[in-house]
Amino acid sequence: MSRQRLIIATAALAIAPSLVYADDAPAVPATSTDSPTQKPTDASVAPVAPAAPADMSDQAIGASIGVATGGRVTPGGLRVEGHYLYQLSDRDWFDGRASFTFGGGAAECFYDRTDTYVCDHGLAQGDGLEVIATVRHFLGGQGMYWPFVQGGIGAGIARFGADGVSGLIIPLHAGGGVRASIAPAIAIVAAAELEFGLGVFGHDIGAEPQFGIDITAGVEFRL
Amino acid sequence: MIAIAALLCACESNDVSRDIGARCTDDNDCDVRCLDDQPGGFCTTLCDSDEDCPGGAHCITEDGGVCVFACGSDGECVFLNGGYTCQAVDSQGAGAKVMVCLGSD
Repeated sequence: MSRQRLIIATAALAIAPSLVYADDAPAVPATSTDSPTQKPTDASVAPVAPAAPADMSDQAIGASIGVATGGRVTPGGLRVEGHYLYQLSDRDWFDGRASFTFGGGAAECFYDRTDTYVCDHGLAQGDGLEVIATVRHFLGGQGMYWPFVQGGIGAGIARFGADGVSGLIIPLHAGGGVRASIAPAIAIVAAAELEFGLGVFGHDIGAEPQFGIDITAGVEFRL
Repeated sequence: MIAIAALLCACESNDVSRDIGARCTDDNDCDVRCLDDQPGGFCTTLCDSDEDCPGGAHCITEDGGVCVFACGSDGECVFLNGGYTCQAVDSQGAGAKVMVCLGSD
């Protein structure tokens, strides 16, 4: 009895790779010449879809570049990020990021008629440095393309040099993207994210909301 | 709800800016010039005619041509937070009188 099970298991392993692409292959009815040991494979060895890109290892590093839109006291401009990814589960990776925003810009803060100091910066003004901790969750992949959603929290500094205004920011991050493997240990990643949270600034500004949208693209290397 | 509230706050507009209307003590508080003889100081820009001013502002002859807010009555100058009334003054470039918010003498 155990010998027969061993034969079935061996046969199942031998045909498993072709079953992964079973949806693409035309259905072929079993014939009388088929081995009796192969017949139960349809029911007992269902193809298991991978939960994440096959080339993702438990650790990876990456770099990305893009644009961040800000406004008022949210810095925006060129966004440059460094990534460190660490596997948490079959589908989830921790994505720790160091994020830099370069916007610059002219002075846009002033005292309004009630003597309140307000800032009215544009979409791409100000500079920022932020450390971000997010979790990337892979959805079902389509060939080399693997979409994902991600979310987390960051903490950092925003600075508007022309106004002499700076503050601490704590934004939440939520978004998604797609990862495409281009070589055994290299992938390109494009992502878009919403940022919203709070910042506490000096110069009598106090607590102000943070809101922005980031779009980045980059490359990841398996470690 | 928090995100929506934050977004609404982030899009809130202000009636005044460093271009025109902000309080000031010197030119550094403004993009161009501070009229420090106005109550609380008044940021303004230089102009030759109304076309050089933002919407809702006239170019008047004071200081060789500066932009100030247009008005129809004193009530429309209340947002400048006291000391301003609606006055008829010479328009720069147009050779006519225009009604604008200026500090009361």
